[in-house]
Amino acid sequence: MTTITAVPELESWTAAALARAARSDEPAWAIAQRSAAAANAKALGFPKREHELWRRIDFRSLEPAFASLDPWRAAPATRNLDDLPAPLLERLGSEAGRIGLIVQRNTAVVIEQSAPELARKGVIVCSLDRAMADHPELLRERLGAMIEPDYDGYTALGAALRSGGAFVYVPDGVEAAVPIRIFHWLDGAQVLSAPRSVIVLGRNARATIVEEELSEEAGDLSFHLGGTEVFLGEDAKLVYGTLQEWGGNVYHYSNQRAQIARGAELQWIQTVLGGRIVKSNSYFNLTGPGGQAFVHGFMFGDGRQQFHLHTLQRHLADHCTSDLLIKGCLKDRAKSVYQGLIQVAEGAQRTDAYQANRNLVLSDTARADSIPGLEILANDVRCTHGATIGNVDPEQMYYLQARGLPRNEAQRLIVEGFFAPVIDRIPLEPIRDHLKALIQRKIG
Amino acid sequence: MSTETPKLDVREGYTEKYGFHDAEQAVFKSRRGLDREIVAQISELKHEPQWMRDYRLKALEIFEKKPMPTWGPDLSSIDFQNIYYYVKPTSEEAKSWEDVPADMKRTFDKLGIPEAEQKFLAGVGAQYDSEVVYHKIKENLEKQGVVFLSCDQGLKEHEALFKQYFGTVIPSTDNKFAALNSAVWSGGSFIYVPKGVKVDVPLQAYFRINTKDMGQFERTLIIVDEGAFVHYVEGCTAPVYSSDSLHSAVVEIIVKPNARCRYTTIQNWSNNVYNLVTKRAVAYRDATMEWIDGNLGSKITQKYPSVYMMEPGAHGEILSIAFAGHGQHQDAGGKVIHCAPNTSSKIISKSISKDGGRAGYRGLVKVQKGAVDSRSTVNCDALLMDEKSRSDTYPYMEIEEDRVTIGHEATVSKIGDEQLFYLQSRGIDKEEAAAMIVSGFIEPIVKELPMEYAVEMNRLIQLQMEGSVG
Repeated sequence: MTTITAVPELESWTAAALARAARSDEPAWAIAQRSAAAANAKALGFPKREHELWRRIDFRSLEPAFASLDPWRAAPATRNLDDLPAPLLERLGSEAGRIGLIVQRNTAVVIEQSAPELARKGVIVCSLDRAMADHPELLRERLGAMIEPDYDGYTALGAALRSGGAFVYVPDGVEAAVPIRIFHWLDGAQVLSAPRSVIVLGRNARATIVEEELSEEAGDLSFHLGGTEVFLGEDAKLVYGTLQEWGGNVYHYSNQRAQIARGAELQWIQTVLGGRIVKSNSYFNLTGPGGQAFVHGFMFGDGRQQFHLHTLQRHLADHCTSDLLIKGCLKDRAKSVYQGLIQVAEGAQRTDAYQANRNLVLSDTARADSIPGLEILANDVRCTHGATIGNVDPEQMYYLQARGLPRNEAQRLIVEGFFAPVIDRIPLEPIRDHLKALIQRKIG
Repeated sequence: MSTETPKLDVREGYTEKYGFHDAEQAVFKSRRGLDREIVAQISELKHEPQWMRDYRLKALEIFEKKPMPTWGPDLSSIDFQNIYYYVKPTSEEAKSWEDVPADMKRTFDKLGIPEAEQKFLAGVGAQYDSEVVYHKIKENLEKQGVVFLSCDQGLKEHEALFKQYFGTVIPSTDNKFAALNSAVWSGGSFIYVPKGVKVDVPLQAYFRINTKDMGQFERTLIIVDEGAFVHYVEGCTAPVYSSDSLHSAVVEIIVKPNARCRYTTIQNWSNNVYNLVTKRAVAYRDATMEWIDGNLGSKITQKYPSVYMMEPGAHGEILSIAFAGHGQHQDAGGKVIHCAPNTSSKIISKSISKDGGRAGYRGLVKVQKGAVDSRSTVNCDALLMDEKSRSDTYPYMEIEEDRVTIGHEATVSKIGDEQLFYLQSRGIDKEEAAAMIVSGFIEPIVKELPMEYAVEMNRLIQLQMEGSVG
């Protein structure tokens, strides 16, 4: 059957979203985007199961619960940092006052603070809503420029219901001296949050941005439907971490797009630890000669978690390099799908592209699918991919056990070692330590 | 380095060597198009039992219901109603070469078929359009109980055995083109190798399309009984017509415990043939199935030979070469399905794209629940000869067990400048050097071919490589 299952709540939700946007004086162009997205969402409906990106992991357990979700759940009053939930404060540590910080709770940004070092140089760190009012000239051409409005029904729905999101702008030639951290937090359950963020680095700008997703453990489900667009100007360099640690009740769907101009460099670290069913599409376009992209990521699933990571490395210009490594570790009844593609466009000569997916499967009820792909339309290139799936190497286990380590301990060491190359690339030490602890806890 | 490429038809020489056609002298030709009447007519002309006629009609319904595949190459220009589904070239299958009608004999003589038979083959079948026109097997094999017949004769002479296995490996519901074949199949080979019999020289079948707008739907069923061995080789060519032909075969193979089967294809259809083939083998305890699949011809090929390893110790191997020149799309690959513990598989794919051609690997490694201690390695290498060509790699890995070792590697590159430089500095001219590198590139697969085929393959590749680097 190919009937389109429209979201039953769609009409009332999108109508309400438009009314709310008008009430809050959202600019006309942004409202127009919402209403175009609403029309797309209606036409597209839920993605069909036979779609290549929905065949293996889908949201059939989320879709019937749509009626229970609240797309406008307000944040509890948060006047200053002290009002933030304890886990967030713990993550911030003593840094809070010295960095750029944006905190979104449920469907709205509650804290937006720049640091003096940033503000002095013209770096903008604020909510997307504020950027719409204060910096429309910087935002208008970029919001929705890369995330295809008709990518699928969920993406369109997210654009129509857009709630919150961050805006970061680093002007030409500026180095953001302190890190910028963006938090997403969900209070309780039955929240639908749809943030859209835009990150812009001007020519020869530098920044480190870490985005973290956390939530309160809750029984009923919540849904995070996010989107981020990253623009790197010529010779810019961004170190970007996206760390997902939702509670076990959260469904996650996100689209991330990055555009890398001539000579620019993106270092992107992605970790996926939380959530119930997680689907994310991470694409980057190398649009100018000499651009570089390095993606390092891992997924660690336990219980009945399901992770689907789709990556696309698009080489649109010559002399670009991309290197992607995604590691997956699965225990219990967890399932992961890695689906990646390298595309080399006609004329993108001297491309050097690499893609690797390594999977460690720790239980016989876990399942890992790996689908790396290559589409190459230029000949003077070096494009390689590799994928492996296996369990803990018995020789490594034997080596460690022969030195007196108990089985569990040996396995823990091997799994930690498996993740180490990715963790080591995460820019801030407290975050590294935190992730290591989290992994230890998951290994059990 | 300059890459001035003189414009050259990659399949130069094809028209003269294989691209001719005989005047049509079919004794029967169905009208264009496909419906129940045509299917019933084919069954009637073949004097088939009722069950086969019902099977065909059911398959037609399935074909009509199934949508066209939404992935892979663009097949939208196939006009199913413009095709002749059944063209009977002669009234009888000949047992001796002398009895083959003169026109056809000349065709196969030109293609070197009887010559090949005398030289090294244990048996030969030749199919011309819809029917096998000639069939011969060495006497000593016949005495040992080896059956090598056209599939139609197989049904007539060994109905019980035929019925036991036909459609069990590839049911007509498998995919749209398997359904189509099940409805209108004609010709192909039926092979049975009894327990313990080793057929030490290859059996060969040769497939030829002659009629314009013709669809060839051969059906092959091979049963290799316990401990037996057979090597089956097939080759195919067609005339160069301006309109497209369709070739949609179904090949089913059953490899019983401890048996081994090797199936070699040198596909060299003309550039106006859609080649959409379903090939699948099931291998039982400690059995080995090997597919060696060379795709040089056709307009579009979609073919992913597969091995289902059903019992412990089974082994599957797929070696695939795809060469895509101007206007060609080779969507080749393979599938290995591990259904039992301690099974192993290996896929090696080599593809070459040239003059705007598109060659690719599409494959699946699947480890089912319970298939512990399975091992699989996949290696795909692609060579791109110029900036207009394209290479795709789509490997799928679906693993439902933890105690497994699965690896996949793929590389896409051009001919290395250093390699060219090295050879040229030793006095070899550039063109020859490039041909040597390409020969080296495909060598791991070519060395598995019977000698005559290896020579032919190298010659074909050499021919296609001429003038490829400036």
